[in-house]
Amino acid sequence: MRVTVLTLAVGLSLSPLSARADMVDDILDQQILPGMTMLASSAHQLSQVAQTDCQPGSAQLRDAYGVAFDAWISVSHLRFGPTETDNRAFALAFWPDSRNKIPKVLSQIITKPAPSLDLPSEFASYSIAARGFYALEFLLYDPVLSSHGPAAARCRLTRAIVQDIASTTDAILSDWQDTYAAQMRSPTDHYQSEAEVKQELFKALTTGLQVTADMRLGRPLGSFDQPRPNRAEAHRSGRSLRHVQLSLQALEPLAVTLAGDNADLAEAFRAGFATALSATARLDDPSFAGVADPGSRFRIEALQNQVNALRSLAETDLGPSLGVDAGFNSLDGD
Amino acid sequence: MGSRRQFLAGLLATGLAPQASWADLGCPTYLSAAKQSDGAYVLAGLSAQGDLLFSCPLPDRGHAASAHPIRPEVVGFARRPGRFADVIDCRSETRLARLTPPTGHHFYGHGCFSPDGSRLYTTENEYSTSRGVIGVWDSTDSYRRITSFASVGIGPHEVLLRQDAPGLVVANGGIQTHPDRGRDKLNLDTMRPNLSYLGFDGSVDDQIQLPDDLHQSSIRHLAMRADGTVGFAMQWQGAPGADVPIVGVHRPGSAPRLLAEDDPRLRNLNGYGGSLQFSADGTTIAVTSPRGGVVQIFDVASGGLLQEHHLNDVCGLATNKSGFLASSGTGSLVALTRTTMTPLAQANLRWDNHLIRLI
Repeated sequence: MRVTVLTLAVGLSLSPLSARADMVDDILDQQILPGMTMLASSAHQLSQVAQTDCQPGSAQLRDAYGVAFDAWISVSHLRFGPTETDNRAFALAFWPDSRNKIPKVLSQIITKPAPSLDLPSEFASYSIAARGFYALEFLLYDPVLSSHGPAAARCRLTRAIVQDIASTTDAILSDWQDTYAAQMRSPTDHYQSEAEVKQELFKALTTGLQVTADMRLGRPLGSFDQPRPNRAEAHRSGRSLRHVQLSLQALEPLAVTLAGDNADLAEAFRAGFATALSATARLDDPSFAGVADPGSRFRIEALQNQVNALRSLAETDLGPSLGVDAGFNSLDGD
Repeated sequence: MGSRRQFLAGLLATGLAPQASWADLGCPTYLSAAKQSDGAYVLAGLSAQGDLLFSCPLPDRGHAASAHPIRPEVVGFARRPGRFADVIDCRSETRLARLTPPTGHHFYGHGCFSPDGSRLYTTENEYSTSRGVIGVWDSTDSYRRITSFASVGIGPHEVLLRQDAPGLVVANGGIQTHPDRGRDKLNLDTMRPNLSYLGFDGSVDDQIQLPDDLHQSSIRHLAMRADGTVGFAMQWQGAPGADVPIVGVHRPGSAPRLLAEDDPRLRNLNGYGGSLQFSADGTTIAVTSPRGGVVQIFDVASGGLLQEHHLNDVCGLATNKSGFLASSGTGSLVALTRTTMTPLAQANLRWDNHLIRLI
């Protein structure tokens, strides 16, 4: 099945995007299904590597972790349907963790690992803070937790987490392949119309841009007087900037495809994403430590402004064409 | 329609008419402020099925409304920092009075009647001092302003009648604003919201504050259960991405309970509770979030999150027999149960923040 989908995706990507091609099919076949397939296969690869080497410093393990985490970030804006079922997205990605639950719960497990730790069905019932890529980052990169307690306990926990990630991504992929893609292609039940499907995809775009602007960039920026470099996403593994890039790279084709026949809007999206991506390429600050330095802070703020500009473009120019007006209630709450 | 009005007016003039009441035919079941497609603002009346029964023009954007307990009259309040509240006769669909707060005050958008309907209480900002005020109006005398007293906090937003004792419960949102600065928030670093239980004379019967780490959780909207349990919905003013509760319940004399605090799905509310209601049987409580495009239903006893329903720009929320009714800024009205969401009506209007059940 996996091979079939990949072949189909490659085949389609060779044909030029045309107005005749169905927008929803394009997004499913060229973005969502290949992305979810990549996520599941890289998660399995990670799980296999961890079976042979579970040392936090292992280059092989860290590489496999990086590939799988990349795959998640590239689909992390698709938070509906299969990723929403059973809180799967939260089980893969518990971030932000404003109350520092992750290190607390990991430390407890390492100190007193239960026999059930090695049973995948049991681990799936653990606190969501103990699961997923952000918990694993602590075990691989946090100076305290990567050497906390007996190595054997940490190894068991590492393997439990990667196995859990693999089965969660399997469940997401099979839902997409077995039912959800078909529901989006032929809306009759969960979605009542093609317009609703496009609105869901539009929401994924705007939410994805919002998460990048407000969370990935906004949280470490904090305020000028109180920058918060320790709030940067995945800063322990130096992936903060990379996540902004991956997210923008995943959102650009979604925005361009949703623009449909509106060539001017598609071009405006391409230009806006190119501006933001080239700003990330010039930053040279993988974990956004520069938010605390007035000399480099302004460049991160500029990047945030560029992402917000893309969000405005989506909301004002793209939304109305898909039947989504700027929120009457959501924009200016009371 | 005109002839019916003339007929009623004639009866009233002769003194032969029985006192008008909500039992009269044609009264709406729900009210909501709205914006029309031509840009005009109205207060709309809806049937139980969601059909539009009337639209009374408002001078500017409305917010919430409140129904007189006996007479078929409703008051539609201006959105903050507005300075009007219109009293509308639901039978004739005409305006009976317009309330204007004293100089130096503006309304916050909510109000409620006393149990006998003789008094109307409104939340107001005395903005030269930033003092929260409850205005008192006499509905038996053309809604004359009688007096006012402190809300005992900054930014009183929603006010409801207590069900367990005589008096009011007020959500003092804690945010200082000034009309000269529009809707800017002036005290986010030091804000300190509270929930205050006040006598009808302004005496303070009880007041609760949340722990220090939640001082930026603005307590804004309220729901009342028949036994006097108060639900409150909050709006987070701190850094985005913080894990914060949005809904709590409280009974005077006890500690407040915050619902579903460890459930990651609270994040889907984007830090923002818009409207709040208990179910008819009081076992569940629902909150809307237009920013998250979601309605969440909680179990009151366990505090657990039971269900999410997704609806773009959803905000208004009312109780019906089988669950809840929700309205959105896109004009849709849906019926919600624990497990289902059913479209009821689609209006060519933008429904504003609150949906009010009349009877």
